[in-house]
Amino acid sequence: MDPKLDLLYRLADDQLILGHRNSEWNGLGPILEEDIAFSSMAQDKLGHSLALYTLLHELGEAEPDTVAFTRNAPQFHCCQLVELPIGEYDFSLTRHFLFDHAELLRFEALATSSYEPLAQVARKLRGELKYHALHANTWMKRLGTATEEAIERMQNALNFTLPYALGIFEKTEAEAEIISSGLFIGEDELRSRWLESITKVLSQTALEVPDILALTPVAGGRYGQHTEHLQPLLDEMAEVFRLDPTADW
Amino acid sequence: MYGSASTHDLPTTAVTGLENEDPILLAEFEARIARGEKIEPGDWMPALYRKQLTRMIEQHAHSEIIGSLPEGTWITRAPGFRRKMAQMAKVQDEVGHAQLLYSAAETLGKTREQMLTDLINGKSKYSNVFNYPTPTWADSNVISWLIDAGAIVNQLANAKGSYGPYCRALDRICAEEAFHLKYGHDAVVHMATGTPIQREMMQAALNRWWPAIMTFFGPSDKMSVHTEILMRWKVKMASNDECRNQFLDMYVPKIWEIGLTLPDANLRKNEETGQWEFTEPDWEDFKRVINGDGPCNAERIAVRRAAEENGAWVRRALLTPKTQYVRPLA
Amino acid sequence: MIQSHDPRMNRLGLPDAPAPAVAKEALDQFGTYEVFHQKKEGAPFVYVGPVHAPEADVAFLFAKEQFSRRFACTGLWVVPTAAITLTDYVGDTESAYDTLPLLAKSSAAPAPDSRYTDDTAGEEAAYAAGEEDYDIFHLKKRGKAHQHVGKVRASSPADALQVAKAVFGEQRPVVNVWAARSADILRSDDEDRDIWTTTPEKKYRDAISYKVQDRIEKFKAENQ
Repeated sequence: MDPKLDLLYRLADDQLILGHRNSEWNGLGPILEEDIAFSSMAQDKLGHSLALYTLLHELGEAEPDTVAFTRNAPQFHCCQLVELPIGEYDFSLTRHFLFDHAELLRFEALATSSYEPLAQVARKLRGELKYHALHANTWMKRLGTATEEAIERMQNALNFTLPYALGIFEKTEAEAEIISSGLFIGEDELRSRWLESITKVLSQTALEVPDILALTPVAGGRYGQHTEHLQPLLDEMAEVFRLDPTADW
Repeated sequence: MYGSASTHDLPTTAVTGLENEDPILLAEFEARIARGEKIEPGDWMPALYRKQLTRMIEQHAHSEIIGSLPEGTWITRAPGFRRKMAQMAKVQDEVGHAQLLYSAAETLGKTREQMLTDLINGKSKYSNVFNYPTPTWADSNVISWLIDAGAIVNQLANAKGSYGPYCRALDRICAEEAFHLKYGHDAVVHMATGTPIQREMMQAALNRWWPAIMTFFGPSDKMSVHTEILMRWKVKMASNDECRNQFLDMYVPKIWEIGLTLPDANLRKNEETGQWEFTEPDWEDFKRVINGDGPCNAERIAVRRAAEENGAWVRRALLTPKTQYVRPLA
Repeated sequence: MIQSHDPRMNRLGLPDAPAPAVAKEALDQFGTYEVFHQKKEGAPFVYVGPVHAPEADVAFLFAKEQFSRRFACTGLWVVPTAAITLTDYVGDTESAYDTLPLLAKSSAAPAPDSRYTDDTAGEEAAYAAGEEDYDIFHLKKRGKAHQHVGKVRASSPADALQVAKAVFGEQRPVVNVWAARSADILRSDDEDRDIWTTTPEKKYRDAISYKVQDRIEKFKAENQ
């Protein structure tokens, strides 16, 4: 695949699927105010994916709605982390923390991408992502230093989620070209920045951080291999849309 | 989204409880309201005023948090980016409105926690329309447009009421409702003027929801409990029949103009009286549903309870003796 | 299990039978923080409402999305409710400052109006003696919102109201006054203003982006 398309699809699909997942909390959150904040961030993620699918459309791909609502799981390039069900709040927050750190650093790097339209999107989203990271860090620090119950929950969530999070950095065949053409710094470099960034926050908690690079990443998502959760998610998301794909909803 | 008159839970003690109030303070209180000044939390107020307002604002808050559920039903299935993002924003707004209204009620002395506990224990009422299901996307659109439209009629009236914190909350809420109304109308119009499948879905949803919509403003004034004192205190601002008539006046033509029909052969405007005529809603059924026997009562409460219970560990973890609860100021 | 039309609820697995009533012994709710919003640079911070939160940093996260997710915003303050001292409320044409206790002329404290000057040496001495900054908010009309009017330096919250009377007491009407120790206010950093950069662009949340009249007219024309 063209390196631009390769990169954009991965980014857009991650954002769409995680935004969709996180929206499932709306109305069910642990605190009214948190319910509102979490929904805003889910909306932001939808907005990011729309911006990226719009770039893809400009490069000749189908309309954003068609791309988002009519493909099946094997055509999706998201990492498996984002497709997992929301579980309990400990998992959803941990996923938010691990993903959003990678997202913030990724868009920081993309701000100087050789592909100017993407660089523009990245620069614009900077402040938005800053809030997401602030939210994630505040929660991680609070819960990671709170009651025994909370610390145990967050520890379990972290242990479970980390291998999936490493799947964010799965490389595709286009990786070498993506780096050499100045599109993006590359997944290895992003992962090392991410590691530093999450470790800095986690070290301020009572949570134990395993040797992350020794973990086996849950990979495959970038090549269309997904968990059993993605296809049902897509069927649900497109249930109305597919009733009449010619309709203007 | 939703005014509170529809809960059919008007006071039964409307004219009792004043004999213990200090007549001078009561006279000053009434004079302030008569002058058009708002009452603020620090003011003296009759116990009955506090009680009725607490109940009314609390029910309104419950109607928002429960009211987020029928549309939340379609949050993961909204078709296309535009609808998906807007549906999320709308459901989010309902939760936000609940937050604003619980805060306003808290200034009267009841804690938010107590209100939420009463809700999940079935001790408090909320707008009865949310005890009905949204089996299709079109049902969600009908709520977004017409239930919110009804709510705006109510809320604009209540925003002229006498209690400062409630007015402040309603000002903010009404501003956001403008989005809800336009979004809902936009969605319904797209369906009604769209493909045959869409059109049929929308007509079916409207047929399902119309009887509930007709009960939204509560029973006819002829059947309502005496509310004179609540009108004088600007707690209740408009009569159920006035609100209903205003709603029909504004929205029935908009429904008809996009080729939809309404399932009431008697519905028509009497041009001589300016009043709408319609088949009297089934108030016995209304009472049965509001008292717990509707299609979704159990689910609505169970969902709220699950949210509270699943979130309890989070709240326990963050609780700190450093910030003790005190009543919000305004 | 309750069968819902909402797939999310089916995943939650809600029990059919109503659970026994929840009996709560202790409060598990947090304290509250009062939130002030600035809509553009130079505009006063205006009261928008409270949030429930365990600490100020969480209160800020919550306030940001509850009170500034639409339209432009250049700053947000959060203040613990308990940290605000207030006067009585008075009528819409009066001044709440008139309800404060009158200071005795022979009071050992310096006259209030001498306390907010540009005298740097005097200022340092005052801080050394335990005086602190307070932010003052006025409510101009019942039913409206408190607005920030400025700062004073004082030795206690009660004193802050007295100093505020000397500095801002000419303004009328003042229905109610709030004083908060400046150190108790968590303020957004100027360098973090970019968290609101994209807020006004989220048009899907705005009524104005839903324009459907053309479609209605077209439908009517085709179906006459």
